[in-house]
Amino acid sequence: MKKLRIMRGREKMIEVKNITKNYGRKKVLKGVSFTANKGEITCLIGINGVGKTTIMNAIMNLTPIKSGEILIDGKKVDKASYEKITFIPDEITMLQQMRIEEAMEFMKDFYTSWNQKRADEMLHFFRLEKTDRISELSKGNRAKANLLLGLALDVDYVLMDEPFSGIDIFSREQIAEVFTSHLIEERGVIITTHEIHDIEHLIDKAVLLDQGVILKEFDAEEVREKEGKSIVDVMREVYRA
Amino acid sequence: MGLKFNSRDPVYVQVVQHFKERIAKGELEPGGEVPSRRELANKLKINPNTAQRAYREMEEEGLIFTEGNLPSRVTKDEQILRALREELIMEATSAFITSMRSIKVPLDEMLENVKENYEKTSNNEGKGEND
Repeated sequence: MKKLRIMRGREKMIEVKNITKNYGRKKVLKGVSFTANKGEITCLIGINGVGKTTIMNAIMNLTPIKSGEILIDGKKVDKASYEKITFIPDEITMLQQMRIEEAMEFMKDFYTSWNQKRADEMLHFFRLEKTDRISELSKGNRAKANLLLGLALDVDYVLMDEPFSGIDIFSREQIAEVFTSHLIEERGVIITTHEIHDIEHLIDKAVLLDQGVILKEFDAEEVREKEGKSIVDVMREVYRA
Repeated sequence: MGLKFNSRDPVYVQVVQHFKERIAKGELEPGGEVPSRRELANKLKINPNTAQRAYREMEEEGLIFTEGNLPSRVTKDEQILRALREELIMEATSAFITSMRSIKVPLDEMLENVKENYEKTSNNEGKGEND
């Protein structure tokens, strides 16, 4: 019985299948398909306004799609999914007057998957003070606090929207370090960016997006190995074609 | 401590190369423990999957071995170690010859330069760690 289930069980992943979405008359997603495996870092790359955040919102079921389907481990997103997947938006969504400790308290009340031990570990790692108010944090520290609140959830999948944008280089380095640690190990991560440089060596898979369509989806190491190309080389080919 | 990666070679290959150099230099001794996959990922600032892959590759090449649940260790097989050293020497030599040839340096002059500079640079040994 058990063996049979393993054989039949699909691999753990997020599957985005041919999704479309319009804002009014504007077609923002025109049949987007890709997969993001658990245990891997998948990077959605594209300039601003090509639909990256919309895809994230669609995966989280925060915005309706016109057609297509999104599956997490073979199942559609429902209420229970939110203990399995989390979305870290590009700006911290907590009330500005809250202290970090209050924001953590808030998350703890809201999610059963909250892991305080991990949150404390990240406070230390990012050198944040839990008594600091969110409104008084530097931009880099706000980004770190934002990441902390999402990553402290014991979930299988983490979506991160532009975690590197608009912050100083040392904060970026520190955040990139998260991707080399047990904080994301075994999890499936989807990260969006318009600037690959900070994480070029860290991602498993790249998905190139433009104007609501996927231009290319590839394994970063494979492209280096088989074609001797960097991710940026492939981007240059694809976007300048 | 961090390793500088180029963006066109697979990261795992670069990690393997880094280990080969460290073994050849004697920084990693035969039979010595290598860091865990997680430690390695952290140290070199790479994706844990990449660390895993580098170790798998090294294990296949016989450079490291793992017994049961114990930490992996550098091979004690002298034949492998000798072959590794030869491989690195060959790589460096052919790269050197290629760049000398490209500027049309004859063998005599090339050897002369090697002899002359070998002594000089050996004083600065160890300063410019792998980069």
